[in-house]
Amino acid sequence: MAGQGGSALLALCVALAACGWLLGADAQEPGAPAAGMRRRRRLQQEDGISFEYHRYPELREALVSVWLQCTAISRIYTVGRSFEGRELLVIELSDNPGVHEPGEPEFKYIGNMHGNEAVGRELLIFLAQYLCNEYQKGNETIVNLIHNTRIHIMPSLNPDGFEKAASQPGELKDWFVGRSNAQGIDLNRNFPDLDRIVYLNEKEGGPNNHLLKNLKKIVDQNTKLAPETKAVIHWIMDIPFVLSANLHGGDLVANYPYDETRSGSAHEYSSCPDDAIFQSVARAYSSFNPAMSDPNRPPCRKNDDDSSFVDGTTNGGAWYSVPGGMQDFNYLSSNCFEITVELSCEKFPPEETLKSYWEDNKNSLISYLEQIHRGVKGFVRDLQGNPIANATISVEGIDHDITSAKDGDYWRLLVPGNYKLTASAPGYLAITKKVAVPYSPAVGVDFELESFSERKEEEKEELMEWWKMMSETLNF
Amino acid sequence: MGFLWTGTWILVLVLHSTPIQAFPKPGGIQDKSLHNRELSAERPLNEQIAEAEADKIKKTYPPENKPGDSNYSFVDNLNLLKAITEKEKIEKERQSIRSSSFDNKLNVEDVDSTKNRKLIDDYDSTKSGLDHKFQDDPDGLHQLDGTPLTAEDIVHKIATRIYEENDRGVFDKIVSKLLNLGLITENQAHTLEDEVAEALQKLISEEANNYEEELNKSTSRTENQAGKIPEKVTPMAAIQDGFTNGENDETVSNTLTLTNGLERRTKTYGEDDFEELQYFPNFYALLKSIDSVPSEKSHEETDSTKEEAAKMEKEYGALKDSTKDDNSNPGGKTDEPKGKTEAYLEAIRKNIEWLKKHDKKANKEDYDLSKMRDFINQQADAYVEKGILDKEEADAIKRIYSSL
Repeated sequence: MAGQGGSALLALCVALAACGWLLGADAQEPGAPAAGMRRRRRLQQEDGISFEYHRYPELREALVSVWLQCTAISRIYTVGRSFEGRELLVIELSDNPGVHEPGEPEFKYIGNMHGNEAVGRELLIFLAQYLCNEYQKGNETIVNLIHNTRIHIMPSLNPDGFEKAASQPGELKDWFVGRSNAQGIDLNRNFPDLDRIVYLNEKEGGPNNHLLKNLKKIVDQNTKLAPETKAVIHWIMDIPFVLSANLHGGDLVANYPYDETRSGSAHEYSSCPDDAIFQSVARAYSSFNPAMSDPNRPPCRKNDDDSSFVDGTTNGGAWYSVPGGMQDFNYLSSNCFEITVELSCEKFPPEETLKSYWEDNKNSLISYLEQIHRGVKGFVRDLQGNPIANATISVEGIDHDITSAKDGDYWRLLVPGNYKLTASAPGYLAITKKVAVPYSPAVGVDFELESFSERKEEEKEELMEWWKMMSETLNF
Repeated sequence: MGFLWTGTWILVLVLHSTPIQAFPKPGGIQDKSLHNRELSAERPLNEQIAEAEADKIKKTYPPENKPGDSNYSFVDNLNLLKAITEKEKIEKERQSIRSSSFDNKLNVEDVDSTKNRKLIDDYDSTKSGLDHKFQDDPDGLHQLDGTPLTAEDIVHKIATRIYEENDRGVFDKIVSKLLNLGLITENQAHTLEDEVAEALQKLISEEANNYEEELNKSTSRTENQAGKIPEKVTPMAAIQDGFTNGENDETVSNTLTLTNGLERRTKTYGEDDFEELQYFPNFYALLKSIDSVPSEKSHEETDSTKEEAAKMEKEYGALKDSTKDDNSNPGGKTDEPKGKTEAYLEAIRKNIEWLKKHDKKANKEDYDLSKMRDFINQQADAYVEKGILDKEEADAIKRIYSSL
């Protein structure tokens, strides 16, 4: 990694120099820029992680390096291309990369969907390297995570926007330049607005999950969707994600559904049916980030209203209403529970601060990953042991159902408590089971469903038995 | 099960029947012609059965003769019938429990909650709760409101039983048994048959009307019933045809004609149970229709998203990676590949080191470098195709591995 950051740094330093770089953060290297850069680079490197901004080529190379170091547990793939043709790269970490192991939950981190909110992008590159390093060191937590989870990391959903933002001269980056994709679309307002539909269904009756019907057609034919948005929607539909986080910048809080207010007002606590578990997982992130969870932290800007922030978390609608966001789209179109994490008051902070952002967030990132192993999980099968895909698993008292994946496997995140879970599928008789759920790990509950035809066979046999008995008794 | 009760009640009726009216009206006076040996011998039979149930004795059938000498064969038959009715009562009780469990949508036990729910209850929407046969009077002696059964009730009950079970064999069996026991004469059997036929006809037309009404009501289930309707109508039509065609009509085996019964009464029925299902054409039709509906539904929800994602990947992977232009930076180009190569080299070195250590732990003799090389080559090529690696990088990586 020594040389590749060189050209970027050089360019950056030249730009910084033009804007009065001497006032900048780097007080350690008073010497010539080139030498100072190299030394700084060395100081900023740690175990293969270089704490500097990665442009698209560097991002790609960083991921390739992780893959090369950890070929047994990693795989790079792309979910599509940005408007300007950059690959939307994902690095996957698991003990069997490329394969969904039945029963193994899938997790994703997405960063930089607003191109000028840069910290998330970098943190995710650092995280990929860190997971690889720690795995090889035998770090038990990391080894277990990688063996029992399929972790997908997308450092940047908006590489075009990032390039625009990063190309700005000067250390201080504009609040808006690079936010949208290359078409000027704000990706976090670009998702189909399923909140409106679920609010309607709450009032008038209707499904409480998987609200985007006839998905492929809608997505492909919708001219208003950016290619980045479409790629993510396909990704969400293709992989049975369970838990996710979407990394942003501009504030310091972990935000959870719903983002859009029910009444349409600007601020209103808009809880979703899974408010309890969302608060819990959001807290699992924020509590490990000292700045985020600091109760005495002043707001990012003097006049900011952070009255809705509790323990470093906030309900989306309570903070401010966001329609068409990716977070709620996940929850309402799939089984995936996603939160939005705002990592930094400054959207594109100076490069020197990246190391400290990493220190502040690395435990949170791991802690949040572990949240996937909570609640109830298991398989829905028929009486012959065949998986039943797309079975519905409903929880009494929570108006949000999830479905089983292709192998009949399901994962239902829940806070500790006693629950009644019902598994049902068309053509089968439903089964309900009582479950006591601890904080963690997830409780295994399997369902074996009897099909209508099996029951009909049973009844037919019963009837035959009866007939036989009658005939024998009456001697016919 | 039903015909046992109808059987016993036919005994009851027969005792008090007149030649003209087959069955007595409530409080009706018995005709002298029935005061024969059989009647007086049968009364204790009647009373004993009624007492065995420990319920209200039929007041509509006042005993007119004292119990006479009991025929030994009648006692045997009585015991047999008692045993059977006992069994049937238990059966009925069990069934009524099942029907009440049906009302609980969810069984909350850890054990399978579906056992208490009858499939037909779930699936057959033509049966409303009230029509459900298991909610009939379990002991067969009373109407639902507790009043004793009248003659018409009994005829109706027999007709209902035949209709529900779609089984003319019910009647035939009862009547042949009665004849064999000498409890009724052929004339009486004829009359009984006529009465039951009439009642059955009425029942069929009633049910047809109800059925149509329910069809119009339920929208969501019409699909399910579509398969059933024609099949249900056919046996009904067949029954009707049978009756309207007159007494001497010879019909094919699957249609119900009681008039044909006389000739078959003394015949013993076949032991082959599977053939007996022809007496249940309705249920058979139901089974068939249930078969077709789930297979229809299973085609509806094919998940094609995985295909789409694969298509999408292919599509995007085929395009050339246009980001190479970003690599051009003033003054850094020569440094970059060198720095990158160093980084890749370092990463590969760490990988090999770890694999060696890992394999050692797993007690592997020698680390298989050639296998690794093949894997890397394959992956590198795949990545180039997908735009994750560029050609030079892939070559560099392959070179590094081949030099190890």
